Amino acid sequence: MKTVKFAKLDSFTFISHIDMLRHMTRILRRAEIPVKRSNGFNPHALVFFSPPLVLGARSFAEYVSIDTDMPLEELLARFSASAPDGMKVIRGFEEDKNPNLQGKIVASDYVFDAPYSPINIEKFEISYQKKGETVNEDVSSKLFCAWEREGKLAMRLATGNTNLRPDRILSELNARLGASLRVTDIEKIAQYVEIEGKLVDVDEYLTTIEMI
Amino acid sequence: MDLKEKFFEILPEVEKPGRYSGGEWNSPDLKKPVKGDMCFCFPDLYEIGMSNLGIQILYEIVNDQKDFRAERCFAPGLDLAKKLKENDIPLLSIESKKPLKDFTVVGFSVGFELLYSNILYMLDLARIPFFAKERDESYPIVIAGGPCSVNPEPFKLFFDAIVCGEGEEVDLEILKIVTEGKRLKLKKREILEKLKALEGVYVPELYREGERVKKAVIEDFEHAPSLRRPLVPTIESVHDRATLELYRGCASGCRFCQAGFWYRPIREKSADACFDQAVSMLKSTGFSELSLCSLSTSDYSHLEELEGRLNEFCDEHRVYLALPSLRISSFKPGMVDKSRRSSLTFAPEAGTQRLRNVINKNVSEEEIDKISVAFEAGYDSVKLYFMMGLPTETDEDIRGIAEIVRRLQGIYKSLRGGRIPNISVSCAVFIPKPCTPFQWEAQISFDEMRRKQNFLRGLLSKIKGVNFSWHGAETSVLEAALARGDERLCAVIVEAYRLGARFDGWTEHFKWDVWQKAFENCGLTMQEYTRERAESEPLAWDFIDSGVTKAYLLLERHKSREGVTTKNCREGCNGCGALSRGRCTVL
Repeated sequence: MKTVKFAKLDSFTFISHIDMLRHMTRILRRAEIPVKRSNGFNPHALVFFSPPLVLGARSFAEYVSIDTDMPLEELLARFSASAPDGMKVIRGFEEDKNPNLQGKIVASDYVFDAPYSPINIEKFEISYQKKGETVNEDVSSKLFCAWEREGKLAMRLATGNTNLRPDRILSELNARLGASLRVTDIEKIAQYVEIEGKLVDVDEYLTTIEMI
Repeated sequence: MDLKEKFFEILPEVEKPGRYSGGEWNSPDLKKPVKGDMCFCFPDLYEIGMSNLGIQILYEIVNDQKDFRAERCFAPGLDLAKKLKENDIPLLSIESKKPLKDFTVVGFSVGFELLYSNILYMLDLARIPFFAKERDESYPIVIAGGPCSVNPEPFKLFFDAIVCGEGEEVDLEILKIVTEGKRLKLKKREILEKLKALEGVYVPELYREGERVKKAVIEDFEHAPSLRRPLVPTIESVHDRATLELYRGCASGCRFCQAGFWYRPIREKSADACFDQAVSMLKSTGFSELSLCSLSTSDYSHLEELEGRLNEFCDEHRVYLALPSLRISSFKPGMVDKSRRSSLTFAPEAGTQRLRNVINKNVSEEEIDKISVAFEAGYDSVKLYFMMGLPTETDEDIRGIAEIVRRLQGIYKSLRGGRIPNISVSCAVFIPKPCTPFQWEAQISFDEMRRKQNFLRGLLSKIKGVNFSWHGAETSVLEAALARGDERLCAVIVEAYRLGARFDGWTEHFKWDVWQKAFENCGLTMQEYTRERAESEPLAWDFIDSGVTKAYLLLERHKSREGVTTKNCREGCNGCGALSRGRCTVL
């Protein structure tokens, strides 16, 4: 199993997760990367993604795991040459088995394009539309921390089974900061898995940690 | 803030922003310095426009040039249109996010009468005046092309030039001439005069009574530039696959079919050229489906050879090979075995042999029975396409549709032990179109359409397991009126747009009252255009020379009235006149 870490930029920030999946198959076909297929009645290519990114946000930390025998270096070169401009390969990893990032990732770091000022993340109540209904929710428990990064506000939010979409906190964030952030001002910079009660950056998990 | 940033800011607020964001694989290099550029516009949504083969071919031809670039623009959804106006952003191209107004040439592909109002919708958003005569040298040269150039009169006043016929050669010529003309700061009229000299180009403003405009034809289709690196849509489009054009034209001569006459002479590509092109397209896109596309794919002379080679390639590369547009008469058992589809589509078009002879759809009852081959091969769904309102049609012919359904059920039952198949019947309303032997015919009245639809629905409701769908009577009347329209309709289209007509091809957007009012406000009626035309009467599109002579169309019309069929062009030349425009490769 090989995992490619890539960025989703520019026009590709507007491509939904489901369209990304379709696109990935085409990239792998163009690159002529032989992907192993599942057994069963309807075999499908063994390709696995990290959790979906919000539509409109940039990311420098997307992952796709591919079951192939092609050496990593060749895979990365071919993948790069066949990926559209909005997808940039950052680095690659090799593992013994599927790292199951979709299931394991629990948190993500986002940078919000607003000048940093200290922000209180206690009692963080948001309201958003879900299936036509307004939902009010206190998301403090899904909002792990906030800090300054290169003069901007960065936050770590729950991702995965317990999930906090970064676009859903925008209006509350704007109210607290006096800012006018939009979804296009959001940038994902890292994702984390949880190991022995600690958050571990996916890059580190894929390189150093023995998979559970 | 530049336009692109401003545009990207509003994108998260609209439905399917991937329609507008660009960045598709096989897009041109935007850093390449160019002398001139062209924006291909398709007056419908991205998903539809990206499936248009014509635009993809022309786009690649221009982008293969060192000094020129092609970009695209599709009709934005109504939600984006509103946002563009609110945020004071003009309509932009997908690739470089450049206002349409700043291109050297803006070219509309017009493939369907119900898209006419959307031409104005796009020009309006692009801040380009509707009428060619209102645009001075500061505007791009705005041109049109596509299947509707058969009769450009209803939209002619919106365009500086209209390409009648096939654009592969002439579009690039136009772009070169306009680029050079703009560089030399020529007057618009001087540029238009140069364009008028090109074969296939109609310049409405400079047209003089009695002139003929010859349709542009790619004579050497085998060696013509073919699509090799189609754009890969970023969001799912209607035809999300590689499309391989095997040949142009059609040998069948169905009398209602505009494409069948307009795209003559018949020009087939060799199996080698087709195979080569298919492999290039699949490798350059990563598509996992390939469809063979022509007016009647199963009539292609080298189909067996090509299919054999493609099957091998597609099996090896896990590509699904689809064969659309099959004619029953050329249906062979082998064709069904390979594909994994469970549903077949056939178009007998009319319910009785008599009426099929009138329209020259040479499909016999025995041939319809051949569907049994498909049933035996395991298929259990059949889609049948018919038309109603055909010339000389009676209720007997409508009854014939129900009879065909009953017969197919009977065949299926006998083969499959009493079970019944899924049969879908889709029935469109006949629309007389220019450049066909039926260009003089009347369209049946609105009330008659309703009556016939109800009659057929009644007949089919008595048969179990049949699904019936039909076309809206309203859109059929409008399409017929626009198809055989004259220049007075330019004003009607403007009026309809002003009153709110947009996306008329979409049931949810179509506004019948708006179009009725628009005709009325211009002192016209749709009936004036849907009526029968006298054979002596001049027709608005007579000045277009498609190669097929008016005398031949008339002869075909007379034969239809006598129920006499015309043989398939492959069996010998029928003398339609298209040979004057190039070699017919099936002869």
